[in-house]
Amino acid sequence: MALKTPEEFIQSIADLDLEIYLFGEKVDDYVNHPVIRPSLNCIAMTYELARQPEYEDLMLATSHLTGTKVNRFTHIHQSTEDLVKKVKMQRLLGQKTGSCFQRCVGMDAINALWSVTHDTDQAKGTDYHERFKKYVLFLQENDLVADGAMTDPKGDRSKSPSQQADPDMYLHVVEKRDDGIVVRGAKAHQTGSCNSHEIMVMPTIAMRPGDEDYAVSFSTPSNAKGISYIYGRQSCDTRKLEGNELDVGNSRFGGHEALMVFDDVFVPWDRVYMCGEIEFSGSLVERFGGYHRQSYGGCKVGVGDVLIGAASLAAEYNGAAKASHVKDKIIEMTHLNETLFACGVACSAEGHQTTAGNYEIDMLLANVCKQNVTRFPYEIARLAEDLAGGLMVTMPSAQDLAGEKTGPLVEKYLVGVCDTPVIDRMRVLRLIENLTLGTAAVGYRTESMHGAGSPQAQRIMIARQSNLDHKKELARELARVGKPWEKAKVKVPTAVSAG
Amino acid sequence: MTDARQPGQSERVKVVYCGGCNPHIDRTAVAAELPADDPDVGPGATVHVSGCPRACASDHLLTSDDPGTVVVAGELVDGVPTPQADLATAVMSKLKE
Repeated sequence: MALKTPEEFIQSIADLDLEIYLFGEKVDDYVNHPVIRPSLNCIAMTYELARQPEYEDLMLATSHLTGTKVNRFTHIHQSTEDLVKKVKMQRLLGQKTGSCFQRCVGMDAINALWSVTHDTDQAKGTDYHERFKKYVLFLQENDLVADGAMTDPKGDRSKSPSQQADPDMYLHVVEKRDDGIVVRGAKAHQTGSCNSHEIMVMPTIAMRPGDEDYAVSFSTPSNAKGISYIYGRQSCDTRKLEGNELDVGNSRFGGHEALMVFDDVFVPWDRVYMCGEIEFSGSLVERFGGYHRQSYGGCKVGVGDVLIGAASLAAEYNGAAKASHVKDKIIEMTHLNETLFACGVACSAEGHQTTAGNYEIDMLLANVCKQNVTRFPYEIARLAEDLAGGLMVTMPSAQDLAGEKTGPLVEKYLVGVCDTPVIDRMRVLRLIENLTLGTAAVGYRTESMHGAGSPQAQRIMIARQSNLDHKKELARELARVGKPWEKAKVKVPTAVSAG
Repeated sequence: MTDARQPGQSERVKVVYCGGCNPHIDRTAVAAELPADDPDVGPGATVHVSGCPRACASDHLLTSDDPGTVVVAGELVDGVPTPQADLATAVMSKLKE
């Protein structure tokens, strides 16, 4: 077993010398940059908890390739129990970080590619699965973080990849050589990409004839020549540059996304897992999407736990905790949050084995899970803001609290329940602000909407999986549709005189 | 499940934890309260410590047929409701029976 320590992980990312741009400038010491570091701390937590006995049951799994314990983020699911534990692990990490901890995309990508490479080989006589098996072994043995890179910029959505005015709107093969391929394009919204050792690229939609160059999947070191990262802005991100932890809300942890650019990147054949097989690109998108929609039934729930706790504390500090409507709002938040968890667990428990041997979630339930995730965190956030009160967005700054003239005034007028220090009241309100409006809202709100596919993508899958013919047959049977109608048995009421 | 006996914790009691996804009790605090070396506790004593009544540490069973094994599942010790503050004491009593 080669589990990394958190410190080893952070050093290994520093050693990659990635080409990262932030606010228009190249960042050399990116692991210590105050905007970036909290996101690195989040992934470091996936290493930290894996070393703690009280979390091992969720954080570690037994590799079916080696029989040794590996970090679950590099594991190929071998049972429905593995699928359930994945969701519980994600809830745990959401609780510990209050943020997107970024490592899920790679786990979901390896599990999707595991079965799709197998299916492709069965149909086409290729050897992608053996290549991919070696790659998974490499990830496990070195305890690496892999970014699952699916979403292309997509340009004009009414046109296919090959019809775009700029062919780079979808990542594509620009050259096939004896030793490998050369690719160009970009992947957008790449969660955790700047904290990853490896990048696994997948197509973003089901490809059609004419789009063969765009049906490409491969893995590459994140520091391969030609790859650069343009770091995504987040609401309130520059508060991290102010040097005080109070106004950040969650100073230790955060998520990140980046625009990842591939400028003629070479990929050797042993790292290529799809190259022109358009008929399997749709399966890969669906399976990755399914696993990732399951993931949200864990990670968002863990962050929701933090938000519910913070809202409850805010109510206590305001002296309103015993009000019946406050209690009812906490109950409603809990109900919504646990409903998401129930969906995550359900699609896992109802999972099934694939022909490649690994386990896949129930697709209908995973899509139902994510569809709920597009809604419930917004309502939980609304209720949290309700309970927090307007002070959450009108509160003076940390500098005012520290100011010679303003400090005593802030201390005087921001008192709630008298035995609660003002600083603690402000900390909790800033945490709620962070989760609902600040940097963490990227993960908790908009990522809940669009991450793992926008709502309409789930509705398409729900429509496909709904087994509507069976439901109609059930209704026909009970309503006796098509059965003879015994008209003669109908008793027609006779007219009754009112007088 | 995890064999989580730690240096400085009970020498005689093996602790098996659940994964801790949504614990109702402080699992590590319960383990830490177990006496380090109680001569009345026999060899091979094991405590399964789960954070909630789902009892993941003991394969979802609230009691064990194995002598010398006690199951903590949230505020239950071998299926008996027990306040968090009394969990370790109740475990030790069971182990000495």
